[in-house]
Amino acid sequence: MTLDNVGIIGFGQSKFVKTRIDVTFPELVREGATMALENAEISIDDVDAVVYPLAPDALIGVGNGERWVIDALGAVGKPFMRVNNGGATGMSAVLTAWTHIASGLFDVVLVAGADRVSESSSAQSVLNKMWDVGYERPVPLNTITMLALSAQRYMHLYDSDETDMAMVSVKNRYHASLNPNAHLQSTVTIEEVLASRTLAWPIKLMDACPASTGAAGLVLVSERYAKKNGLKPAWIRGLGQNSETYWMGNRVGPKAMGDHADADALAVAFQRAYDQAGITNPREQVDVAEIYAPFSSVELHVIEAAGIADKGKSPAALANGDYTLGGNGVTVNPSGGTQCTNPIAVTGLIRVGEAANQVLGLAGAHQVKGARVAIASAIGGDHQFYSTMVICSDLEEI
Amino acid sequence: MTEAKFYEQTWDLQYKHALGETTSRFLEGLTQQKIWGRRTTDGRVLVPARSYDDQTHMPTGEWVEVGNSGTIEMFTIVYEPFKGLPVPPYALVYVLLEGADTALVGYLKGLDLKNQKDAIAALGIGTKVYVHFSKTPVGSAADYWFELSK
Amino acid sequence: MENSRKRVAVLASAGLLGNFENKKSLEEIIFDASKKVLDSLGLTIEDIDSLVLAGQDEIDGRVISIMPSTGPAGGVGKDTTLIASSSDHALIYGYLRLLAGQGKNVLVMGWAKPSESVDPDRAELMSCEPFLLRRIGMNNTIAAALQASKLVSQGLETSNSTGKLAWPLGDRDLPARGDSVYALVLAVEGSFTPGDEIAWIEDAGWTTMSYELGARDINDFSALKIAIEQISNRSPHATSKNWHAIEIAGDSEYVVRSVSREFELKSGVEINKSGALADLPTSPFVSGLARMVMAIDRIKHLPKGGNMVAGIGFNGFAGQGAAVVVFSGSKGE
Repeated sequence: MTLDNVGIIGFGQSKFVKTRIDVTFPELVREGATMALENAEISIDDVDAVVYPLAPDALIGVGNGERWVIDALGAVGKPFMRVNNGGATGMSAVLTAWTHIASGLFDVVLVAGADRVSESSSAQSVLNKMWDVGYERPVPLNTITMLALSAQRYMHLYDSDETDMAMVSVKNRYHASLNPNAHLQSTVTIEEVLASRTLAWPIKLMDACPASTGAAGLVLVSERYAKKNGLKPAWIRGLGQNSETYWMGNRVGPKAMGDHADADALAVAFQRAYDQAGITNPREQVDVAEIYAPFSSVELHVIEAAGIADKGKSPAALANGDYTLGGNGVTVNPSGGTQCTNPIAVTGLIRVGEAANQVLGLAGAHQVKGARVAIASAIGGDHQFYSTMVICSDLEEI
Repeated sequence: MTEAKFYEQTWDLQYKHALGETTSRFLEGLTQQKIWGRRTTDGRVLVPARSYDDQTHMPTGEWVEVGNSGTIEMFTIVYEPFKGLPVPPYALVYVLLEGADTALVGYLKGLDLKNQKDAIAALGIGTKVYVHFSKTPVGSAADYWFELSK
Repeated sequence: MENSRKRVAVLASAGLLGNFENKKSLEEIIFDASKKVLDSLGLTIEDIDSLVLAGQDEIDGRVISIMPSTGPAGGVGKDTTLIASSSDHALIYGYLRLLAGQGKNVLVMGWAKPSESVDPDRAELMSCEPFLLRRIGMNNTIAAALQASKLVSQGLETSNSTGKLAWPLGDRDLPARGDSVYALVLAVEGSFTPGDEIAWIEDAGWTTMSYELGARDINDFSALKIAIEQISNRSPHATSKNWHAIEIAGDSEYVVRSVSREFELKSGVEINKSGALADLPTSPFVSGLARMVMAIDRIKHLPKGGNMVAGIGFNGFAGQGAAVVVFSGSKGE
């Protein structure tokens, strides 16, 4: 299908924290670009084009904020564009960079950015404005309530409960404790999760992600560039995006296209990536999954959408020790995932970087032994936009 | 070394959003204690009413008045305060009204939310509710809410 | 294994324009434009492989504009991306997707509905960096005036426009404001009947320069120069001196008048034959895409064999970024 394969040769990320008062936003973005270039061992002069991920302008408080950070990115005078697919932005930007290279016009593309979600003290009321002007803004929808509704439905349909969600939190926090870059690094117990205060039932504080600040970046290259320079990238073997209806009310009832409890549109996106990569049995063929799930409940149905478990069955597998480092089958979010670190604009990018690190054996204490094939996914909007990727250490048949 | 300084900024952008005829009619219907839906080319009744359907990518046609009672399809109870949003706790529900194929969002009022366990049990999926209309409607989605059927 | 570059064509374009569209919501006019372009081709959304959209949150009053706009555009069930830096970039990204083999066609849409903004200039103020520039106050009009004044100091004649709004700009120098939505269908050669295309895309160039107005020479058109150079290097036949017509957006007519001074153009080249900036309502975010649609439209007015046209757009204050797409009426010249 494509002229040339595309690989990842560099990934850099900050140690994520709540706030960074030592830098302006452009300075923070510069860190993302610098770390990516250093890790790739190239200079900005080697970069042919730049793709920039930035989700709502309102969170950083500057309209078309990408124009402000051009210099910080080193993008002056280079082809440059910005992607905004909501929470999926970081990964959509990587896919956009993939297209830049697969078009044949560019060999080296930088994707780098940052976020400082806690800088806006009104984050959730900003996010209230993503809802329909006429119908939904008077009602207090935001990211927490929308995911609470989905979690509640999942529990109802699959006879699941808050303990299942808590198990996800325990696993992710354990993984994050092994990840020096993660924001939340302390482990938790099921009891602690269940006792934490409710934000919007059934989502409790310890089911939810933090508002993170930090930067990250990736460098993508064409196969011909990699070969010419003797590089061994993490190869992008498949990619897929899909969108679902914006209206959550359309995702319930007998005539719904897909239930709000599930992530059927994400399953379609995964299938597109799997088809391209030649994956027919993810449970057997995939070693690691870095899948975007800002809340514990989300991870359950994303695991299922990825084909790693049947619908409603991921809690039982999790209780069995699956998905955990050192456990059986696919290891899910060995980095701690979005639940432990969520700098919105680059969260999706970090999933790709972590997946690349895994297949290259560079994940340190949270390395999955012998990982060769990884999947990564991101979600944007109200569970509306889905991006997925398959990453592999080589170009042989999976 | 200079101490880190901060600069506070607020965005106060104002908008006058055109609602279009369909949304306008739906909101007007609230002032008449009616909930309107629109039928898609594949026969589904969309509530709230919309002039096009995003699944078929076709305009909707027939206006359909749906019932003022229905069942809860999903709910949550919010405890966390958010700037610019109401003082918690409050319950949010999506309700499939009689004759509608998509659910309508709204507050659920009149239920004691102090005991979480009891409140959750009272709001289970499938619970019957009915629509209450404001006696002083302003023509916005704040003009209606749901209450449990007795 | 190197293949030669695929050829990508524009099959149709549609624009919906209004000075102040208060009868329909933004989502409804997006739906209408999407239907219009599909209907013109006898297609439904089922026939489209993916979508690239472009919207500007602060003008439209949405946070994450892709959310309410994907549905009406036709994106449910499809790969949809929102390019937020400018609507010209959306067209370019759609082009790249087809070069990359991602499907046989793509629906590209860009829009702006400034009528929803009580104060669009204030929305532009929000794109100032918050530390110095916002406090002093900058928007597209003021930045355009700064640029124009510099051009005048370099010998460009002032215009006749009376009622100076921000010296030297008068109302006839500035683009008119209005609501608009554009939709285009691009397709890769071999996926449609030859002759069905209304234009071929020869190449595209785009770049963005430094943010700080004081850090660049705002009258040297460096972004546009680099964008055109990218095209000349890759596709020498599509360089500026071969263009028979240009449709160029710009924050003022001073920019439009400068093009012939700054660049090597064909003698007799038509510039903005579709209309002056003050006569065609638009909004900065979508103005480049609007001119690209007009450029495509010019092709049928030009004699066969003499039909290479460029559409040019800018983004940011005083043309911080520029994008050029070169179209032709026949395959390669």
